[in-house]
Amino acid sequence: MEKTFVPRITSFLCTWCSYTGADLAGTGRMQYPTAIIPIKVMCSSRVDPVFILKAYLKGSDGVFLGGCHPGDCHYEVGNYHTRRRFAIVKKIFESLGLEAERLRLSWISASEGPKFARVANEFTEKIIEMGENEAKKKIFL
Amino acid sequence: MNDFAALGAKIKAADGPGEAIKAFLRQAVEKKVADAVLVPVKVPAGNSYAWILVTDMSILDDASPVAPVMPVQGAKALKSLTRKGHGELTVMAVMRPCEIRATFELLKLNQVNLEKVVLVSYDCPGAIPFRDYVKDPGFGEKNFQAVMAAGGPAEKNVKPACVICDEFSRVDSDIHFGWFGESGSSVLVIPSSDRGVEVLGSMGMECSDDIAGWKKTISGLKEKKTGKRTATLTETAKTIQGLDGLLGTFSECIGCHNCMAVCPICYCRQCYFDSEVAKKTPDFILETAKKRGGLAFPSDRVMFHTGRMTHMSLSCVSCGMCTDACPVDIHVAEVFSYMADITQPAFEYTAGRNDGVPLPLRKYEEKEVPQVHEIVKEAEGEEAAHE
Ligand code: SF4
Ligand code: SF4
Ligand code: FES
Repeated sequence: MEKTFVPRITSFLCTWCSYTGADLAGTGRMQYPTAIIPIKVMCSSRVDPVFILKAYLKGSDGVFLGGCHPGDCHYEVGNYHTRRRFAIVKKIFESLGLEAERLRLSWISASEGPKFARVANEFTEKIIEMGENEAKKKIFL
Repeated sequence: MNDFAALGAKIKAADGPGEAIKAFLRQAVEKKVADAVLVPVKVPAGNSYAWILVTDMSILDDASPVAPVMPVQGAKALKSLTRKGHGELTVMAVMRPCEIRATFELLKLNQVNLEKVVLVSYDCPGAIPFRDYVKDPGFGEKNFQAVMAAGGPAEKNVKPACVICDEFSRVDSDIHFGWFGESGSSVLVIPSSDRGVEVLGSMGMECSDDIAGWKKTISGLKEKKTGKRTATLTETAKTIQGLDGLLGTFSECIGCHNCMAVCPICYCRQCYFDSEVAKKTPDFILETAKKRGGLAFPSDRVMFHTGRMTHMSLSCVSCGMCTDACPVDIHVAEVFSYMADITQPAFEYTAGRNDGVPLPLRKYEEKEVPQVHEIVKEAEGEEAAHE
């Protein structure tokens, strides 16, 4: 019997917006994939580039980063910093020939339950298409 | 460095630029524009150089402002000296261009205080790899004499980082000693900042010599070196592609973290990668090993190196200390320079300038610079659709 691939997508969600948005999706009984493994952070800017690298190198099939819309961060400018942190990781992935498409940033407000469900589904589908993260098999990593 | 001055002071240098700099330092102290100088001095054992804060000028006799090796990055020495602020003394520090550039990165990170420091740079021919030198200091000295005699940025016998360095001349120092392309018997003392102008003025040095010829020489040499840098780093890029490329590049890495310890930019008292939080529980390790079928120890070498790229490539000045310190000859500096050449332009930033521009990860733009925008626009695009 062929095993279906259920990816693991490490998802950093800020407590004020994206996590609440995800919660809303849940209470609204909207389906989003079990692949999403939410990790609550106070602000998306809490996510150091190394968190993203670590998730990837430890074998997460995708890494998702969710924050408030620009201008709406609970800490006012946190997500502006997030943009830059996310950009440098992406840049480094691209320059090293790593699969930058496994990283995804999205702005989801506390009231955007449907958007969370949609983005989560889209990203999961894309990761399923891409297949497993090869880092999972590297014993020397 | 922009054209600060079109004029400099041509001074005699019959015994080479190093001696000319020493004479200048003596004069600076005599004229009381400096109270002490920070320069490399050969250690008593004769097999290395150390940064000495010289207050008794007779010690200068043994100093080598243009030393053959870089055992400690000058910016680090200056950091030890001024980490807690400045004192009463004005210090004149003579450093290589890459050391001065690292100093400005540290200035932006509040790790040095330049209030009472006069930075002196010089046309740098390169430095001898430290391990080569230590193996046979006599041979190292001879090698360096040959490098100096060639009168330009060296192409061999110096550190790999120096071979591809295109920032070997004037940087944002206060005073620069230009000697590439000058006749063997003279050097140009060039004021490169307001402070530099003031210092030379107080020393009674008249800057009335045209430096256009020297500038032309430098830009010609620079162009050649930039070409060399690009060509070398293009090759480096090919070797580090994908997880396998990275694993291959760092396959000999013994995880000593020397590369980080000697890096002038890595100033953190405790690096994340050496911290308790980076250590894993036995269950987690076993779980990982089980999933993969096995796990190498020490693990996480690729994470360490790529993690450092995210943390400091924006400030890397390509000084080559990391390669110099690597016990297994990994070309760390080339990897980091390759990355620096990508990340710095992406944020429209150039490391090593005294330009007051904050480090890219310490600032943001509401409307981001094009390369950052390009990356985050997927998220911003949704934004537009959502409105
Ligand atoms: S990474 Fe290497 S080349 Fe870059 S600043 Fe640090 S020691 Fe110098
Ligand atoms: S100095 Fe060399 S061996 Fe040591 S951690 Fe750095 S790359 Fe690895
Ligand atoms: S609190 Fe949501 S991004 Fe800062």
